[in-house]
Amino acid sequence: MATLLIEDPVFRQHRVPRGHPERPERLAAIGSALAAPEFSTLVRDEATSTDLEHILSAHTEEYVRTLRGLIPSEGIAQIEEDTYLSPDSFSVALCAVGSACRAVDAVIEGRATNAFVACRPPGHHAEADRPMGFCLFNNVAIAARRAQRKHGMERVAIVDWDVHHGNGTQAIFWSDPTVLYASTHEMPLYPGTGAASETGVGNIFNAPLSAGADGAAFAAAMRDNILPAIDAFAPDLILISAGFDAHWRDPLASLNLKEEDFAWATEAVMQIAARRCGARVVSLLEGGYDLTGLAQSVAAHVATLMTA
Amino acid sequence: MAESKGANVVAIDELSFEKALAELEQIVGRLERGDVPLAESIAIYERGEALKTRCAALLKEAEARVEKIRLSPDGKPAGLDPLDGE
Repeated sequence: MATLLIEDPVFRQHRVPRGHPERPERLAAIGSALAAPEFSTLVRDEATSTDLEHILSAHTEEYVRTLRGLIPSEGIAQIEEDTYLSPDSFSVALCAVGSACRAVDAVIEGRATNAFVACRPPGHHAEADRPMGFCLFNNVAIAARRAQRKHGMERVAIVDWDVHHGNGTQAIFWSDPTVLYASTHEMPLYPGTGAASETGVGNIFNAPLSAGADGAAFAAAMRDNILPAIDAFAPDLILISAGFDAHWRDPLASLNLKEEDFAWATEAVMQIAARRCGARVVSLLEGGYDLTGLAQSVAAHVATLMTA
Repeated sequence: MAESKGANVVAIDELSFEKALAELEQIVGRLERGDVPLAESIAIYERGEALKTRCAALLKEAEARVEKIRLSPDGKPAGLDPLDGE
């Protein structure tokens, strides 16, 4: 069985102001990297949209209605400090969610071993009732609910190695012991949440890293905290909020990870998945804003997924 | 929340010459003062290299577009001649 890649030109239709780092070119860089010959055995599929009903598994109806009302007919509207809507952004965000769900379906139904979704906009800052930090809908949260409600998966683990804490995902599952959220992230850094003391109902694990931390510090946090928590949880599916902005080249943060560190983390998560849940892993793109660092890190991550 | 995620932080390949140079000068200053731990100094040195490459590329682009300004008999600029080919 193979690794599924979902990438699609539609994700480039979500436009941001000039100079905004969460730009369509990120996906062009990823696309070029994943066009290399070593990726020829990927199973590829295109994006798909989703019904609003699935959005409601993580977001309020009022938020969705308000967001839809803010769609500009032309140009780019600012809806939050860092978050913008262009005319197609709402429908592109539905495609990000839909594609995450499509990947979950494929992996659980045994049509792929694991999957990576190269989507925009990212999701892990979006809360139930508001957009935040470049995010409109919480893609990974909705994917987790999809696995539980459509496929009867009881326990879903989410590991988030984006350099920013996934406040949205944490808040959505704060009181839900059936979903584990485990995050490494730089601290202090936007959004400010993610202290080790934030543990939800015993299902939340935060391992903050200081500015300047490198691959060794990241690996220690994973080995000491994140990986044992996921293993002990015995999940039926592992989702990855795969942000690559902890890379040393990234302009939005100050960690010093390299591609090899992301490959290592991918392998470590895959080993737990192999033991606990038939190797089922679905990875969703979150951040990563230097095009070179992002492309190389995604290549390392996907190449590792393909070794399952 | 108090701070921005950095929607205004621009990746190196989108920086203007002035911004890239300013950041490069900042990095040089920090390295010269020696107030950076080793691991971080390697990372910012590498970023400085990338910024230097960006500045050099922008300068080269600008040079290729510079045109000679012709002066009229009373000393005022009168039009442009294209730069001689390199």
